[in-house]
Amino acid sequence: MTTTAPPQGSVPAPAGDPPAGAAPRRRRRNSLTASDARFGRGIVTPSAIVLVLLLLAPTVLTVVYSFYDVPASGDGLGEFAGIGNYEVVFGSPVFWKSLQVTLIFTVGFVVLSTLIGLAVALLLNQEFRGRGLARSLLVLPWATPWLVIGILWKWYADGSVGGLNGILMRLHIIGDYVEFLSDPTWAMVIAVLSAAWRQSCFAAILFLAGLQTLPKIQHEAAAIDGAGVWKRFRHVTIPWLRPVLTTVTVLNIIYAFLQFDVIYALTQGGPGDATQVLSILIYRQLFVVTNIGTGSALAVILGAIALAGGLLTVRLLYGKREAS
Amino acid sequence: MATVNGRRRRWWATGLVYLAVLVFAAWILLPLWYALTSSLTTADQLSIRPYPLIPGELTLDNFRGVLTGNTGSETVGTTDLGARLVPAIGQSVLVSALLVVLNLVIGGLGAYGLSRYPFRGSNAFHLGIIATRVVPAIAIVGPFFILLRNADLLNTPWALVITYNVFTLPLAMMVLKNYFDQLPREIEEAAMVDGTSRLKALWLIVVPLARPGLVAAGVLIFLEAWSEFFYSLVLTNQLTVPPLLAGLQSVQQFNWNTLAAATVITMIPPVVLTLVFQRHVVGALAAGYDK
Repeated sequence: MTTTAPPQGSVPAPAGDPPAGAAPRRRRRNSLTASDARFGRGIVTPSAIVLVLLLLAPTVLTVVYSFYDVPASGDGLGEFAGIGNYEVVFGSPVFWKSLQVTLIFTVGFVVLSTLIGLAVALLLNQEFRGRGLARSLLVLPWATPWLVIGILWKWYADGSVGGLNGILMRLHIIGDYVEFLSDPTWAMVIAVLSAAWRQSCFAAILFLAGLQTLPKIQHEAAAIDGAGVWKRFRHVTIPWLRPVLTTVTVLNIIYAFLQFDVIYALTQGGPGDATQVLSILIYRQLFVVTNIGTGSALAVILGAIALAGGLLTVRLLYGKREAS
Repeated sequence: MATVNGRRRRWWATGLVYLAVLVFAAWILLPLWYALTSSLTTADQLSIRPYPLIPGELTLDNFRGVLTGNTGSETVGTTDLGARLVPAIGQSVLVSALLVVLNLVIGGLGAYGLSRYPFRGSNAFHLGIIATRVVPAIAIVGPFFILLRNADLLNTPWALVITYNVFTLPLAMMVLKNYFDQLPREIEEAAMVDGTSRLKALWLIVVPLARPGLVAAGVLIFLEAWSEFFYSLVLTNQLTVPPLLAGLQSVQQFNWNTLAAATVITMIPPVVLTLVFQRHVVGALAAGYDK
């Protein structure tokens, strides 16, 4: 074995060698110098400082709080409680009920938002008069603040002045006004519907963007092969939309776990604890009964659940970009 | 699917499409229509069963009431609750506008750095930014509350201008980095060969080219700040519009007609902004960056 070429690793590297992840960029900009990297670090620093201070620090503090008996006054950490706060949470039926409510809300919200979104996108991808206007309708719920959605739907579904009741009565579906929000089951249905009212529009916007990039030739080819409407939908449209479908679903899962505004405006968790999702429970622990220790433990648990969904998002969003 | 690209649809398929569009429009518009008509009518009309789709009596009194602060909602020893809407709108505009400017500058610089001048750790930072969208803002409010109270900043716009960065800054950076990545590098590189400094190239060449991306990011930041409810609820005393609306809703003397007027007013800025910049915003949305 002759030793003409040195092993790759020993090639003298410039100080500001771009990291491995920037490989595609090196092709375009082979003039990237140490000074460029320094410049990059310099202009990224302000945003990095803000995010570390405002996201990392409070996250760490919340985890720390969850292990202490933090006094409501906020003076110092109070007594070290070990896993005491977590024991309180996991031993409490209120927590388990709330987790159950959160899961029911999540499943309803995710399924409805995704299915309605998909159906609406397919519809708005058809050719018909007024299509532009119909597409503009999608941004109305999306642009509406979440809290306002809760307020709109609370009064829409109200039992004494309600608009929904008026419509159902006109259609002879109900004989007289129904107090939807006083009934545990109906309150949950309205909560899911109102949140999905907005989120299905977001989903539809994404699906529609995906549909518009679908090459017409694929449908035509399938039609020539004799594929009917359903077969083309199943074997052409759905596979094409799969990446968007995944993104939308994962985003919807995160949104569902973190939803607070709509439920606060609609029911504040009621009637009883019928719609008391975890975020409402955290709010009560922290700011109504001011139990910062258990509130923080709950926050850590909710964060962990959302993070599980989040790691998935990062992988999907990032993986998609690498592939393209 | 009723149409295969250009081929004629059967008449019943066309009818089905229009029927479906009608159902879709009703699903979207009815809740909004109900709020709008409620805000334009009297309490008497609201109590008619079934509620008429077009109320018989129209009035602007509800809007006049919440804008002049004369809603008849004062109890003994308090000022009229309606009088708080206009100041709250002012605070909301202030907080949102400050955040738009701050985030476009700080986030724009950061996004540009990540897009054009990678350094050791820049990829990890970018991943971290994507990961922030799953950090529940609710989960980390405890430390904010305590720290801001100790700093005597509770119930000030600053409490919100600081904390809203938790969601607006990552959003701005994701949208902008995505946009910068799509811009061709050749023009700025040519300028730099001619001796223009990197910052100058950014300001004179990249910023004008990136205007659609900047507009989209700006609108998204504004919407997010305008809509934010939870931090404003717990860190201030109904300083901005959303917690004020939630507060008004729980007050007995405040009837739905008046609340509906306040709600409609609250919806106007985000809806108008989104409709005006629909193309820009939908482009950013299609990339998956929800507010």
